[in-house]
Amino acid sequence: MFKNHVKIAWRSLKRQPFFTFLNTIGLAIGMAGGLLISLYIYDEVNFDTMFKDAERIYRIDADIKFGGTESKSAEVSAPMAAAMERDFSQVELTTRFRDLGSMLLRKSNAEANVKEQGSTFVDATFFEMFGLDLLEGDVRTALKEPNTLVLTRTAALKHFGLKDALGQKLLLNNTDTYTVTGVIEDMSKRSFLRNHNVFMSMAGSEEAKNQEWTSHNFFTFIKLNPESDIADFQEPLQSMLGTYIMPYVQTFLPGATEEQLVASGNYLNFSTTPLKDIHLYSDRDYELSQNSSIQNVYILSFIGLFLIILASVNFMNLSTAQSLKRAKEVGIRKTLGSDKSALIRQFLTESGLISFISLLFALGLAALATPYFNALSGKSISIPFTDPFFWTALLFGAAVLAFLSGMYPAFFMSRFVPVKVLKGAGSTSTGGGNIRSFLVVFQFAISVFLIVSTLVVFMQLKFIQSKDLGFTKDQVLIVEDVYTLGEKTTAFKEEVAKLGQVENATLSSFLPTPSSRSNTSFFKEGGATAENSINMQIWNIDHNYIPTLNMEIIEGRNFDSQFATDSTAMLINESAAAILGVQPEEALGMRIIRNFENGTSNYFTIIGVVKNFNYESLRENIGALSMTLGRSTGALAVKLEAGDFMNAITSIEGIWSKVAPGQPFSYRFMEDSFNTTYKAEQQLGSIFMTFTLLSILIACLGLFGLAAFNAQKRTKEIGIRKVLGASVGQITYRLTTDFLKMVGIAIAVALPIGWYLMNRWLEDFTYRMEISWWVLATAALIALTIAILTVSYQSIKAAIVNPVKSLRTE
Amino acid sequence: MLLQLNNIFKWVNSGGQRVFLLKDINLTVEEGEFISVMGPSGSGKSTLLNVIGMLDNFDEGKYCFMDEPVHTLKEKHRANLYKQYIGFVFQSYHLLDDLTVQENLEMPLLYKKVRNSERKSLVADTLDRFNLVGKKDLFPTQLSGGQQQLVGVARALISSPKLILADEPTGNLNSKQGEEIMELFKQLNEDGVTIIQVTHSEKNATFGSRIINLLDGRKL
Ligand SMILES: Nc1ncnc2c1ncn2[C@@H]1O[C@H](COP(=O)(O)OP(=O)(O)OP(=O)(O)O)[C@@H](O)[C@H]1O
Ligand SMILES: [Mg+2]
Repeated sequence: MFKNHVKIAWRSLKRQPFFTFLNTIGLAIGMAGGLLISLYIYDEVNFDTMFKDAERIYRIDADIKFGGTESKSAEVSAPMAAAMERDFSQVELTTRFRDLGSMLLRKSNAEANVKEQGSTFVDATFFEMFGLDLLEGDVRTALKEPNTLVLTRTAALKHFGLKDALGQKLLLNNTDTYTVTGVIEDMSKRSFLRNHNVFMSMAGSEEAKNQEWTSHNFFTFIKLNPESDIADFQEPLQSMLGTYIMPYVQTFLPGATEEQLVASGNYLNFSTTPLKDIHLYSDRDYELSQNSSIQNVYILSFIGLFLIILASVNFMNLSTAQSLKRAKEVGIRKTLGSDKSALIRQFLTESGLISFISLLFALGLAALATPYFNALSGKSISIPFTDPFFWTALLFGAAVLAFLSGMYPAFFMSRFVPVKVLKGAGSTSTGGGNIRSFLVVFQFAISVFLIVSTLVVFMQLKFIQSKDLGFTKDQVLIVEDVYTLGEKTTAFKEEVAKLGQVENATLSSFLPTPSSRSNTSFFKEGGATAENSINMQIWNIDHNYIPTLNMEIIEGRNFDSQFATDSTAMLINESAAAILGVQPEEALGMRIIRNFENGTSNYFTIIGVVKNFNYESLRENIGALSMTLGRSTGALAVKLEAGDFMNAITSIEGIWSKVAPGQPFSYRFMEDSFNTTYKAEQQLGSIFMTFTLLSILIACLGLFGLAAFNAQKRTKEIGIRKVLGASVGQITYRLTTDFLKMVGIAIAVALPIGWYLMNRWLEDFTYRMEISWWVLATAALIALTIAILTVSYQSIKAAIVNPVKSLRTE
Repeated sequence: MLLQLNNIFKWVNSGGQRVFLLKDINLTVEEGEFISVMGPSGSGKSTLLNVIGMLDNFDEGKYCFMDEPVHTLKEKHRANLYKQYIGFVFQSYHLLDDLTVQENLEMPLLYKKVRNSERKSLVADTLDRFNLVGKKDLFPTQLSGGQQQLVGVARALISSPKLILADEPTGNLNSKQGEEIMELFKQLNEDGVTIIQVTHSEKNATFGSRIINLLDGRKL
């Protein structure tokens, strides 16, 4: 019987190529989209699971508020790790990372430096903590000695060969010489270390040995004892504040107590993040690599689900719509002795077959779309064609989909009563129209919702990009790693500034786009007390900084080389004035004190207030910031005149290679650097747009099919109406309005939902657009236009048929 | 006695009023009879045939088929009964367009769960008997009306029913084709199959042994 079902199903599909085509394509698109999204999500939720004992590894985090500034740090102080291991039996092992970002490497015999991304100091326990082994070298001794380092396979191959790397010497940042003591397999793309290539021994780092309990610069991981529960660790962890940190604070704030700290609204709260949760749940000020968020996973899951549902709904709609054609068959079969269950099986076989064919198409589509999807999502996903689990899941999924979408039509059609449906060539309605209408409304509601979402995401991005940032990022070229020029940096800056196309140039490691940051405690004049302490960014800049970036000074003045006293002058931003508790104009002349470890202190006099400019993502508020004159040579920001930038870049590179032969020249535009801050949103926007297009396409396929069947069903009616004198326009109108009503209802349902949910999404942004009525109107208009175009083609086609023809075939 | 209808009423409610489709029908059919049902259009012939074939329900009265009280049987049981004993022939043939002649013939056997080997031989016999061997792999649309109806009859007969119900079996055929079908019926009847046919043609009615006249749902 099953063979028979398949044979008949195959023939009936072949006999209705149009219907089969629409159904298959719709399902295939839905499945392909669903498949890619599933792979994406699978990838996202499996971060850092490859590490041995991953479920026992936790990162120590700290929420800090001190001196008016709050921070959510993923790093803690250097001495924490040793203290935890010593004091708490729950802690089996600790490992610290001190992230260094990019670094210049040079082989001892080489002329030129090579830039290496992702270098970090790490404790020798690294390998044991994460269950890692070395390709070359001895895992037990590899990072024990100072000035030793381990390279990943990629980095090792870049500089030496796999075998030759061991024992080689590398000059780092032109200063320290390190010996390669190991080569490790590249870090998994699915791990928090995916961007790291150089692991340097912590043993040589002075900073790692200091006892500064309030400098939070070390990513610290613990491995919990298998018998311990992380919930029981929270209390001991927090107790370190009393045991270690307060005594340390008292060395520079005599008499400070924990009670005082809490009473003044300050805090230092420790917490832990499970290793496996870092990727999706951790969003702290500075992370070892850029994380994703569980919210995006949810959003994508919904989009994937929507796609599949849309495709499935299409299937139901098209199947029941053509039930008129199948009704006769059902009647005959029943009179031949078929019972309902046999008919249901027959119809399910049909949907199974369609679903299987669609699956094959979907795999092809997905394989073709993978590179595009990867570009879109920033992943490197491939379809695991050789994985048996994948195939099992896939076939199971397809079977479930076939069952769910085939069930309704199967039950619907198997219920037909033979005497009714066999009665002559009568045009008895087979019903189901209401459900069909409901399903169309449902499909379009989803599409309209997705259109609204896409519009809002893109408009918010546009809003961010066009927002007055308080500085001008356009036409600013950033030359990186200027510090490698050493003594010659100033000469380089002056040479560049002389170029015709260069308006201005400034040397600083601190830029409003992602770059160095430095947070320090200061005191207001009047004594080193907790009340007087304030926390601010402190940036070292030069005289040209403010004009180069076109920042606005709202009170006072910029640094001026004519005033020798400006070496102790300070610019602050409006937020800093606010935490000082004064109006900008009152801030001028105030003195700020900075205490140093060695007991000396510095006074700074405020000479100007800079209008707030956004130096963090626009998701955050603008924090307090101060700027002083100082040598800071991380980058040279160059303001260019409009014109041929390539020309200017070539000239600058020419100066670079003259000043520093052999050093790699790297640059970027500030604009691009700014945009990378919103990469996540941009990706979300593109993903939204792509899948919105797909869902609209699927919905249109369904609508197109329905319109076709509707027109077909009414061929006779249309013929008669035309004979009676109806015009093509009138008939088209009749056939189209029914559908448009449904789309109208869908719009009415989807707009409020879209408005509500997208407002929720916008709440994440400190700077956000308003969703105005015309955004919603645009979405509605897009949906209506698409629907009209889809339906009217069929309607017009039906309306212009010669009535004589349609009536004769009846 | 093959079947017996006692005081059968069937009605529909239309505008708050009962419209009778069948009114007080009494009918006894013996095995081996060949009955022709006649009457003007709309008189209830098809309705009666559907009631006898258990495709349609009635509202009042008793219907016994081979001593089984049909009016008390469950849907499922009833379906089994007609699957077993009744074959239908329709005016518009009602062949399955997706199936070949051979597969159309096989269909009722599949539903009766006849074993594969037996099925094959039955189909082969029937194809032989109705001279359809050369057409066995054609689809219905590739046949003439008469040939399609021949397949229809063959299909009704393949599971050796006791009763054939035919609603205007020659209505769509020309007179020569119609005559051939009627000859076929006559011969089947002589082989012992009971036949009830609806017809508008006096000539066709004479092939039968008895004529029932209907008017407005009433037996005359
Ligand atoms: N479901 C129904 N609802 C209301 N009236 C019905 C229904 N089915 C049949 N009828 C009516 O019952 C009457 C008998 O119909 P039936 O089809 O049995 O006629 P007939 O004798 O077979 O006619 P014809 O020779 O034209 O085929 C007709 O008047 C028809 O309008
Ligand atoms: Mg009739």
